[in-house]
Amino acid sequence: MATGAGAAAGGRSFSFKVVLLGEGCVGKTSLVLRYCENKFNDKHITTLQASFLTKKLNIGGKRVNLAIWDTAGQERFHALGPIYYRDSNGAILVYDITDEDSFQKVKNWVKELRKMLGNEICLCIVGNKIDLEKERHVSVQEAEMYAESVGAKHYHTSAKQNKGIEELFLDLCKRMIETAQVDERARGNGSSQSGIARRGVQIIDDEPQVQSSGGCCSSG
Amino acid sequence: MNLKSERRGIHVDQSELLCKKGCGYYGNPAWQGFCSKCWREEYHKARQKQIQEDWELAERLQREEEEAYASSQSTQGAQSLTFSKFEEKKTNEKTRKVTTVKKFFTASSRAGAKKAAEEKTPKQGQLGRERNADNILRDLKEIFTPSWELSSPSEALAGKLKEIQEAKAPSPSIHRQASIETDRVSKEFIEFIRTYQKPGQDIYKQCKLFLDTMSHKRDLSIEEQSECAQDFYQNVADRLQTRWKVPPEKVEKAMDEVEKYIMTRQYKYVFCPETTDDEKKDLAVQKRIRALHWVTPQMLCVPVSEEIPEVSDMVVKAITDIIEMDSKRVPRDKLACITKCSKHIFNAIKITKNEPASADDFLPTLIYIVLKGNPPRLQSNIQYITRFCNPSRLMTGEDGYYFTNLCCAVAFIEKLDAQSLNLSQEDFDRFMTGQTSPKKQESDSFSPDVCLGVKQMCKSLDLLSQLNERQERIVSEAKKLEKDLIDWTDGITKEVEDIVEKYPLEIKPKSQALAAIDSENVENDKLPPPLQPQVYAG
Ligand SMILES: Nc1nc2c(ncn2[C@@H]2O[C@H](COP(=O)(O)OP(=O)(O)O)[C@@H](O)[C@H]2O)c(=O)[nH]1
Ligand SMILES: [Mg+2]
Ligand SMILES: [Zn+2]
Repeated sequence: MATGAGAAAGGRSFSFKVVLLGEGCVGKTSLVLRYCENKFNDKHITTLQASFLTKKLNIGGKRVNLAIWDTAGQERFHALGPIYYRDSNGAILVYDITDEDSFQKVKNWVKELRKMLGNEICLCIVGNKIDLEKERHVSVQEAEMYAESVGAKHYHTSAKQNKGIEELFLDLCKRMIETAQVDERARGNGSSQSGIARRGVQIIDDEPQVQSSGGCCSSG
Repeated sequence: MNLKSERRGIHVDQSELLCKKGCGYYGNPAWQGFCSKCWREEYHKARQKQIQEDWELAERLQREEEEAYASSQSTQGAQSLTFSKFEEKKTNEKTRKVTTVKKFFTASSRAGAKKAAEEKTPKQGQLGRERNADNILRDLKEIFTPSWELSSPSEALAGKLKEIQEAKAPSPSIHRQASIETDRVSKEFIEFIRTYQKPGQDIYKQCKLFLDTMSHKRDLSIEEQSECAQDFYQNVADRLQTRWKVPPEKVEKAMDEVEKYIMTRQYKYVFCPETTDDEKKDLAVQKRIRALHWVTPQMLCVPVSEEIPEVSDMVVKAITDIIEMDSKRVPRDKLACITKCSKHIFNAIKITKNEPASADDFLPTLIYIVLKGNPPRLQSNIQYITRFCNPSRLMTGEDGYYFTNLCCAVAFIEKLDAQSLNLSQEDFDRFMTGQTSPKKQESDSFSPDVCLGVKQMCKSLDLLSQLNERQERIVSEAKKLEKDLIDWTDGITKEVEDIVEKYPLEIKPKSQALAAIDSENVENDKLPPPLQPQVYAG
């Protein structure tokens, strides 16, 4: 859920939830650890866990709190997907370029996500392990064409060599901000005021005050 | 997982009991065994007590707040202008309170009776619920529920009322503890809110108003009540931001306190409400977990080895945390228990694997912990958090991640089958029905700190199954022996018959008897003496 908050300190701030999906061993955990800790296969990693990581960004004055949710990739947990990706703003679907099966799994995820969440979610398809280019089993052209056909963006990364990861997350954040803003405009520029009166819980204002007509987000 | 629960109708047991008051009419369990008329009278009494009590509590809090505020104002050098304005507002609020109380008195007894019916019916034996399950549930409630929740509302009311009357003579009653807890939370809230000055006063007023509104909405479905709470959180947060320009971090802190304050008060009405099937689901999960007692860490591929003492220590702590969740009243406190449990799991993984836990490690371990701990009222707690937690925590926060994993663990346990444990269907069925236990094969490999009783039990089980095997062998061998014997006699009979057939037996007349043979031999006399047959008489 994108929470617009913080008109106080100048720019807007956003909170985004991003889920990592993909078969086991394609490099999901390696990607986030590289992004958040800049480490790869490191025995001296200080974080206690790599399943929930956060990152704060500042993109053109807009502050972004990114929460990255790792998901269990084992086949036996596949059915739990919907519980994980509920309310996500973005999904990163990872496959291993040396493993055709893992690309097929990504296609399945895309189908499921589009069916369950529609176009509200920003999809990234990520071909990881590009340092193993000579063992590539998924053609670049096929992957990119597929991504385009389902309204997703395609990225090439290597967690090992730290390639393409920064770009991936930055780009995703920009797209999520855009989506959130479009969404907000569609709801009439109020972050949440809609549909409250009908439920009969009202905030009583016994000190009439001139409300800034735009709500909290007008400064954006 | 299906987080929206369907509503369940209230089953009223139309038993033929007469009214408890002996007025001659039929009574109804929904009215605690009274007829409708007597129930209305009884309920009205209790209701009036409650109104009285609410009123006194409100008065007291009001007084406390005013005194505290006044003292803080006077130390600041008595800005009489703001103070009088404040006083004025308090008076306004009081007048509004009075009208509220009036509403209570004039409110139709129908609404009251309905609410009471919802509170009381299911405790008195619903149709279609197993007696057995009922008992288990009661046991569970007794073990895990703070005891003040068990007493009937009217009892609690009487207790509270008494306690307010004799506030200076402390009685060690449980009701007292409960309301002391609630009062403590209120006091802390007021103290906290005061640091927010004017916006603080505003928050306090909104909370009071919300609680008051909700007390009239108890007959709404739980989902509707949840929406009210969610809207309220959203509204207060927005208001702090836009109207009072409170910075985001302070808004977040205030929202935590708001949640604590209102949910401490709402808890008893909205946790595991009787209008839902939360309770039924709790029992189902509990039973399911018990049936899965045989699942081993290996089957789930749990990446922790409990042989390492520190790890098994972490596992025990994690189990304790997740069980403790049920004892908290505030959604955020419940979430904190899940988070604590998760951290202990991460530690266990880190010690075992020496690398940070990924979701692939975490989820199976959490599932294992839930199976081992069988935490009380799991579904109710999940539902309660989903419905009444401040949503900004659940959506993106770290607590929300762990909570989601707990939901996943429960969903997995509910659906778990042979395939999800990499077992053959036959093995799964045999374990499920208790015919064999996978632990049997490993009973020699106990970790050193397994308690003696358990070891002894496993050994006994082992012996019993060995004995069973031997008995089966004896029975089958006895059967074989029996068959051998029958075959043997049959064989002999047949042989004899064959021989008899081959050499038919000719039975000669009696004259040919042995004694007569010699007598016929006329030449006997001519034989030399030693060979001469000696003839005996007879
Ligand atoms: N060569 C290469 N190996 C990688 C890369 N990313 C991950 N791996 C390896 O792939 C394996 C699985 O990685 P992991 O992050 O655990 O995958 P996950 O199961 O999807 O989380 C590990 O042995 C990693 O070292 C990469 O970019 N290049
Ligand atoms: Mg992983
Ligand atoms: Zn009666």
